[in-house]
Amino acid sequence: MPLLELHGLSAAYGAVEALKGLSLHVGEGEIVALLGSNGAGKSTTLRTISGLMKPKSGRVLFDGKDIGGLHPESVVRLGVAHVPEGRRVFPGLTVKENIMLGASNRPGVSRRELEAGVEEMFELFPDIRRFSGALGWTLSGGQQQMVAVARGLMSKPRLLLLDEPSLGLAPLIVQQVFRIIARIRERGTTVLLVEQNARTALSVADRGYVLETGRLIIEGKPDALWNNEEVRAAYLGGRVTAGV
Amino acid sequence: MAIFLQLLFTGIGIGAVYSLVALGFVLIYRATNVVNFAQGEFAMLGAYAMVVLTQDLGLPYWAAIPISLAVMGLIGALFNLGVYYPLRHRSFLPVVISTIGASILLTNSVLVGYGPAPESLAGMFDFPGIQIGEVFLDSQYLLIIVVTILLVAFQYFFFEHTLLGKKMQATSQDKEMASLLGIPVARMIMLTFIYSAILGGLAGILVAPILFVSVGLGSQVALKAFAASIIGGFGDVTGAIVGGLSLGVIETFGAAYISVPYKDAFAFLVLFGFLLIRPQGIFGEKVAQKA
Repeated sequence: MPLLELHGLSAAYGAVEALKGLSLHVGEGEIVALLGSNGAGKSTTLRTISGLMKPKSGRVLFDGKDIGGLHPESVVRLGVAHVPEGRRVFPGLTVKENIMLGASNRPGVSRRELEAGVEEMFELFPDIRRFSGALGWTLSGGQQQMVAVARGLMSKPRLLLLDEPSLGLAPLIVQQVFRIIARIRERGTTVLLVEQNARTALSVADRGYVLETGRLIIEGKPDALWNNEEVRAAYLGGRVTAGV
Repeated sequence: MAIFLQLLFTGIGIGAVYSLVALGFVLIYRATNVVNFAQGEFAMLGAYAMVVLTQDLGLPYWAAIPISLAVMGLIGALFNLGVYYPLRHRSFLPVVISTIGASILLTNSVLVGYGPAPESLAGMFDFPGIQIGEVFLDSQYLLIIVVTILLVAFQYFFFEHTLLGKKMQATSQDKEMASLLGIPVARMIMLTFIYSAILGGLAGILVAPILFVSVGLGSQVALKAFAASIIGGFGDVTGAIVGGLSLGVIETFGAAYISVPYKDAFAFLVLFGFLLIRPQGIFGEKVAQKA
């Protein structure tokens, strides 16, 4: 049984339908990339899984249980962490406080466990350790992305939803972030990754889905997707030699 | 010099009351992004709760104060459920109108019960105060200052050194993100309203023996507190305290050295000055937005 299954999922912003009967699945331990251009419904998919949006119809099965329409606070308690687009680091809290709050889904966590968790994150992301006491808004985009991912991991998720982790980052930092994503999976966390940077996403993913205007276009292994000229030209930003 | 110090003491005392109400403004604003125009009514209700308990029911102060504060906490919770919660997904304006409506409702409900004639509440201590040199420290003003210092210290500790305080800060900075982390946003906002109502009520209880207890008490204090929070930098906790204290001192000195009838005008002159020259207030822009 896959860890996450979407069955005919539809969602809308008012009258605008963003997802039209999307079905996909993510197996335990996989990294799955959700690709497509702006407005394809990638972020909406993640928002509907994590409970920020209510599905109009269809089902969201996590570990066999229907979590569609649950409140985000309940979804994260079940083991789904959502690192949203734009990183959303709390600007007025320090790096350490930001990371600590990632454990808010775990009831009765002791201060010592929190400190140990933060320490573990600083080992995973050594670059942000020295900014431990710095306020969120003072960080660069790359540092904020690392804080956001670390904060997401603090909830000890079984499934991590990552929305555009490469957005606005320098190529070198993007590489670094994706190396970390590979490492997260090695630690046993399943990852569903939304990216516009298809080439980089496919370099770490086990499988990919390509969406357009809320519908699934094609699913496949990274090589098959990338070597499909038509798909690449139409949906994956078509350059044969991408920058990374 | 003696007169100067005497005025300074009085100004800080009255300014402390403005600070407490301003803190209530700031906390609710930071948690909900909405200005609660009924914040002054919390002070008025706190003062009337004391009138009911000490004069109508004859309870001693030591019993009346905690009961009043508990009642204020309950009012804060009901206020959240009735005035804010149903409109939480709406924009700024409907909620603001809702708080103005609540303010009118509360004022007039008290008016029905107690009429327009002001009540007076005795000071909390039997001894009048302490004479230090030529300066007389009135016991009620001393109490206000001490309570304000303790509250500010408590609040600093709570927000900076407890996990619950950090969760409340996170909620005020980004509600959607907070809920994604599993922070119970609705409960955090509930706590904020309860605490702000208690703060406002406490300000009313403290200031009641100095001013008269009337239905106008709320707007009288709230207007100054509102000005204080703008001067300090709206949304900033330190700003609310500094703004409140400076406003109290400025209007006391203005009344003493320039003109008594224009006492209330000084506060607003300072406010105009700030709006023209430094609209973000003294402590504005602590958290900048990075592009």
